[in-house]
Amino acid sequence: MEYEVVIGLEVHCELATNSKIFCACSAKYGAEANEHVCPACCGMPGMLPIVNKRVVDLGMTAGMMLNCHINRKTTFDKKNYYYPDLPAAYQTTQLFAPICVNGRVDIETSKGKKSVRIKQIHMEEDAGKLVHDDWRDLTMVDYNRTSVPLVEIVSQPDLSSAEEVVAYLERLRSLLRFAKVSDCRWEQGSMRCDVNLSVREKGSDKLGVRTEMKNMNSLAAITRAIEYETARHIDAIVNKTEELVQETRRWDDEKGKSFAMRTKETAGDYRYFPDPNVMPVVIDDTWYNRIKDSLPEFPEVKKARYMDELGLGDFDATSLVESRAFCDVFEAAYAECGLAKDAANWILKDCANLLNRNQMTADMLSIDGRALGKLIRLVADEKVGRANAKFILAEIFAGATDPEKIAVEKGFIVSNDTSLIEKVVVDIVAADPKSVADYKGGKEKAFMALFGKCMRELKGNCNPQVLRELLLKEIDKA
Amino acid sequence: MEDLLDMLEKVNQLSLTDEEKAVAAGYFAATEKDFATFSAVDTDGVEPMVHVMPLENVLREDVSSQPFTREDLQKGAPEAEDGYWEVPRLIE
Repeated sequence: MEYEVVIGLEVHCELATNSKIFCACSAKYGAEANEHVCPACCGMPGMLPIVNKRVVDLGMTAGMMLNCHINRKTTFDKKNYYYPDLPAAYQTTQLFAPICVNGRVDIETSKGKKSVRIKQIHMEEDAGKLVHDDWRDLTMVDYNRTSVPLVEIVSQPDLSSAEEVVAYLERLRSLLRFAKVSDCRWEQGSMRCDVNLSVREKGSDKLGVRTEMKNMNSLAAITRAIEYETARHIDAIVNKTEELVQETRRWDDEKGKSFAMRTKETAGDYRYFPDPNVMPVVIDDTWYNRIKDSLPEFPEVKKARYMDELGLGDFDATSLVESRAFCDVFEAAYAECGLAKDAANWILKDCANLLNRNQMTADMLSIDGRALGKLIRLVADEKVGRANAKFILAEIFAGATDPEKIAVEKGFIVSNDTSLIEKVVVDIVAADPKSVADYKGGKEKAFMALFGKCMRELKGNCNPQVLRELLLKEIDKA
Repeated sequence: MEDLLDMLEKVNQLSLTDEEKAVAAGYFAATEKDFATFSAVDTDGVEPMVHVMPLENVLREDVSSQPFTREDLQKGAPEAEDGYWEVPRLIE
C-alpha cells in the first residue's frame, strides 16, 4: 500500500506598520519589556480598539499579491481563550468575513509547477510573549507584541511534500517582502508557520487524522518536522505503533522529534462572536483602486524586463529581484546613469559589501539610488577613479546625496593636467630603477608596482589609460 | 445541558458547585428557548446584520505614540519586576 501526505499551512506575518492594530503603541521589534504598552493593548476594562487603516491597506495588498478576492465589507470577531499572553482573554481576529478569500500561489519544484489555493487571509492581533523563569518558578509576561498586527494566510491542504512546503513559503515570503507587506523575518518571529498534516492511502479522497505543529520558524526545521511527522503517521497506520489523535504537537528540533502538547480545541471552544467594539470596514472603489495601483511588478516580471530590456544576465537579474530594496535602488540609479550592468555591479558587489560590513540585510539598503547613478556616471566618464568612488559610495551609504560635491571637496576629481602626471611618472621611474629593469626583463608585475606608486602619488585622480601610456613611454626612455 | 455546562466550566476555567450548576442550567434553558423562537422565524433573503451600530470605517492613521509608561500600567499589578508582569508558572 502506498501512502501520501496532505499538508495545509497557516502562515502568520507581522505587518510592516509603525503602530499596533488597535492602539497607537509602537509596533517596533526589540524594545525593553513592556515599553510599547497602553491600557488598550494590556486589556484594561473599558478600552476601545480603533483599527489602524494601514493594516487594512497591507491586508488588501497581501490578498492582491496572492490573487485573492477582496471582501469589500470585512468584520472583526472575538476568539476567546484564557492565557496570560492574551490580557483581554480574547483575541480580536476575523472569522466570519475575513478581508481576503479564494487566492492562489503558484510554485515550482523538481516535480513541476503547481497552484496552491489560498482559503483566506485574515487580519488579527498578535499575542504577548511569555518568559518562563525556572529559578523563581514563575512566568514573566511582556506585552510589547500584544496587538502587533498580523495577517494569517490559510492555505487549502494542497501541499504534498516538504519540498512543496518550502517552495510555497519561499514564494510567499518573496511576494510579501516585495510588496512591503511584512519583513518576513523568520529569526525575529515576524513570519511563523503552523503545519497541519495528515496521511492517507494514495489516491484516496478521505483525509486521515490531522495533527498540527505550531509556531515553526525556520525552513530547515519545517522540513525535518514534516519528514518526521509523515514517518510517524505512516508507522502508526501500517505498524499500529500508536493511535493517531487530532492534536497540537510541539516540534523539538534538537531532539528531532514531535511531542503532544494538548488536545486541539474545536472551533466551538473558542466561542467566536462578532466583536461589538470594532466597526465593520467597508472598502470602496477609490480605496480598492489606490491599493491596486500601488502594487509592485511581480519579481519574475521585473527579472524578465531587466534581462530583455536592460540586457542584464540571468545571475544579476535574479540577484537583484531577491530584494525589493535592491530593485528600487537599481532602477533609480539606472534612470540616472543609463548603465544597467554597472548599476547592478555596484549594488550586488559594493553595496552588498557595505551591508555585510554593517551587519545589515539586502532589504535594509536605503541609499539614494539617484546619487548612486550620478556616481556611476562620474566613474564612467572617468571624472573619478574607481578607488575614490568606493569612498564616495560609503558616504552615500551614510546618507549623502551629491557625489560630485564630495568628489570636489575631497579632491577626487581626475586631473586632465598631463604635465602633473608626467612629473610624477618621471620622478617614480627615476627613483625605482630596479622595478624598471625587472619590467624590461619580462616581469609584468614590476610594471604594476610602478603604476600603483604613481597612482598613489596622484591620489587616484588621473585617467588610468593616460597614466599607463605616459609610464610606458618613460620606461622606454629609461 | 450537562455537557454544555462542563465545556463552559472548562474553557472559562471555572469551578461550579452543583447548586451553581443548577442555577446556570436554568438560565441556559431559558436562553435556548428564546433562540428556538428566533430560529423559527423565516429569514430567507434577509441580509445578515453584522453590527448593531450603524457605523463603519472607524479608523485611525498609522502614527505611533506612547502616552503611558509601563510604570503607570504596572501600578496595580500584584507582581511585577524588571519591567515584566509576573504570573504563576505555566506548563504546557
